[in-house]
Amino acid sequence: MNSYLTDNVPNRFACLGLGTNSPQSLTKRPAASLRDMPDWLTSEHSTGTSLMAAEFDGGVVIGADTRTTTGAYVANRVTDKLTRVTDRIYCCRSGSAADTQAIADVVTYHLEFHEIETGEPALVRSAAAVFKDICYNYRDQMSAGIIVAGWDSRHGGQVYSVPIGGMVVRQPVTIGGSGSTFIYGYVDSTFKPKMTREECEQFVLNGLTLALSRDGSSGGCVRLGTITKDGVDRRVVLHNDLPKFYEG
Amino acid sequence: MATGLAPEIPSGGFSFGNFQRNLSLEVQGLHPPKAIKTGTTICGLTFNNGVVLGADTRATAGNVVADKNCSKIHRLAPKIFCCGAGTAADTEMTTRNIESQLELLRLNMGREVPVVVANRLLKQMLFRYQGYVSAALVLGGVDKFGSHIYCIYPHGSTDKLPYATMGSGSLAAMAVFERGWKLDMDEAYAVQLVRDAIAAGITNDLGSGSNVDINIIRRDEPKTKIIRPYEEIGLRGKRHGKYTYQKGTTKVLETEVIPIVVEEEEVVQRMDED
Amino acid sequence: MKGKNCVAIAADRRFGVQLQTIGTDMDKIFEIGPKLFVGIPGLATDTQTVHERLRFRTNVYELRENRPVTPQVLSAMVTNLLYEHRFGPYFVEPVIAGLDPKTNEPFVCGFDVIGCPCEPEDFIVSGTCEEQLLGMCESLYEPNLEPDQLFETISQALVNACDRDAISGWGAKVYIIESDKVTIRKVRTRMD
Repeated sequence: MNSYLTDNVPNRFACLGLGTNSPQSLTKRPAASLRDMPDWLTSEHSTGTSLMAAEFDGGVVIGADTRTTTGAYVANRVTDKLTRVTDRIYCCRSGSAADTQAIADVVTYHLEFHEIETGEPALVRSAAAVFKDICYNYRDQMSAGIIVAGWDSRHGGQVYSVPIGGMVVRQPVTIGGSGSTFIYGYVDSTFKPKMTREECEQFVLNGLTLALSRDGSSGGCVRLGTITKDGVDRRVVLHNDLPKFYEG
Repeated sequence: MATGLAPEIPSGGFSFGNFQRNLSLEVQGLHPPKAIKTGTTICGLTFNNGVVLGADTRATAGNVVADKNCSKIHRLAPKIFCCGAGTAADTEMTTRNIESQLELLRLNMGREVPVVVANRLLKQMLFRYQGYVSAALVLGGVDKFGSHIYCIYPHGSTDKLPYATMGSGSLAAMAVFERGWKLDMDEAYAVQLVRDAIAAGITNDLGSGSNVDINIIRRDEPKTKIIRPYEEIGLRGKRHGKYTYQKGTTKVLETEVIPIVVEEEEVVQRMDED
Repeated sequence: MKGKNCVAIAADRRFGVQLQTIGTDMDKIFEIGPKLFVGIPGLATDTQTVHERLRFRTNVYELRENRPVTPQVLSAMVTNLLYEHRFGPYFVEPVIAGLDPKTNEPFVCGFDVIGCPCEPEDFIVSGTCEEQLLGMCESLYEPNLEPDQLFETISQALVNACDRDAISGWGAKVYIIESDKVTIRKVRTRMD
């Protein structure tokens, strides 16, 4: 039943190969699901993501690293965690990859329907409310930390944070995922309201670079997205093009 | 007619009828036999004229090799195939189920079903079962939008990638891919790379073994066939002596012969053409 | 076990509760068609239940379709029956052996508890002394054996494997299935 060298897993339908039993996760996963895996996979328990979103004058900038892990194995080093919901609303996903993909799919469906019914682009606030509903109702079964960001004609660029319990709060700047703990200080000291677009993009890129260089379970490239009234503008910054900071 | 004595065959879905019983049997110390797993190496990549999928052929039940030459590349549609790792029955039944859904969809819509649809159906089904249906898949196919490889995990998350590996041998196979992968590969190079990746899994991972199976799906060909085996890696030594027993070795206590009488030959009559 | 235009299927006859032997004349091989047999080792209650359910399904099939069950059809039936109970399985690992009703092509197929089919070109083993049987068969088996030679091979494989399994034995029944007849032989094994 188990294809590792030793076969003393008590659970009879337990794990087989790498990356097949353990849920793919973008951030930390409860220990229960790691129980079935061998030591060399479970010992490294810090797995994660770095997410960031910030409002600027005229829109929002969102950003994420590109690492997806199963245990200690990098299952995907070019993941796209910035997922489209509508033309001008995106979400940044952290937590279980399966859960967040499923949630994003359902929300996309709801908002598409909503846009057809109302005949106009959905509000970012509506998207955040739908995310919150799902995350709250299934809070015991799912692990998903999501940032919803976008632009609408009524309130301009907005960032909403929907963390694990299913709360929703609007913030001018927010960070998420396991890598975020390393950059609270940077964000607090650097962010100022009404930045220009270029300033804001550089701020997010710097923040994510700092996060993924300190967080072992974030990494890879940085994906950036800028959402304004004209739509979304996406960019990838390869690892060797990231800004350089002190690496002592 | 459903009666107590002759119930109808259930129309579908899982039955949990034995669950409580098995739980109490297990408490009493009676463990069920092990389900067959495929501790596997499977992989797939796209090249300039389609996709190549590869798989090893070992199935294991615990430490026993349950099948030395099982087929892990499943057909979903004429130009969409899927490699499966995980519990063998789960990968087999999941892919069979999706294959029939895709065919019905094709007949309903009257056009070829794209690869994203196969991906969607698989991920939504696996997510519904929350990882309890343990099928880890590498989905590959060609449609009018191009060549696609998807990596599908048992919990229902998927990645769209230019090259992917799965199963217990995925590390060995991925090492080969990361070393050799290039943009815009030709077919010969791509097939060789897939072969090397699977061979690395077979030789370095104990859960993988025996042969390399390869399936090449080309854009300009309407159908494909799995090359099985593409290459035999774990070859068994030749037997020089003979172990066959002489006739009459086994002591027979009783013999009963049941002749099979063919009462009626089936005659197929063709109706007149006009 | 596959032979030349024939197949063989064999099983021991012990019926026990763990280490206590209760019966010594238990049949574990059942007839599905004239040239089609299924062996169902495992938990005795499930052996019987699965056999009854298969019998029901094959009967319905033959009535509905008005044609005999082929080995491939039976294989699909077993798979579907066992996989339906994926999350509460029957504790059985069936083995199918038979000849195609029309072409007389030999067919053997084995299943795990949740119905994964395994269709080898040589032999399939299942049950408590599976590992011993695998070893015996791997060394004794040769392709294209004649019926009487196939009988010796399968019998010796079973008898010698049972010798090293405490909870198998008490005689064995060997079925040799040919296109015109089925020969059932009772064979002596260790009786303790």
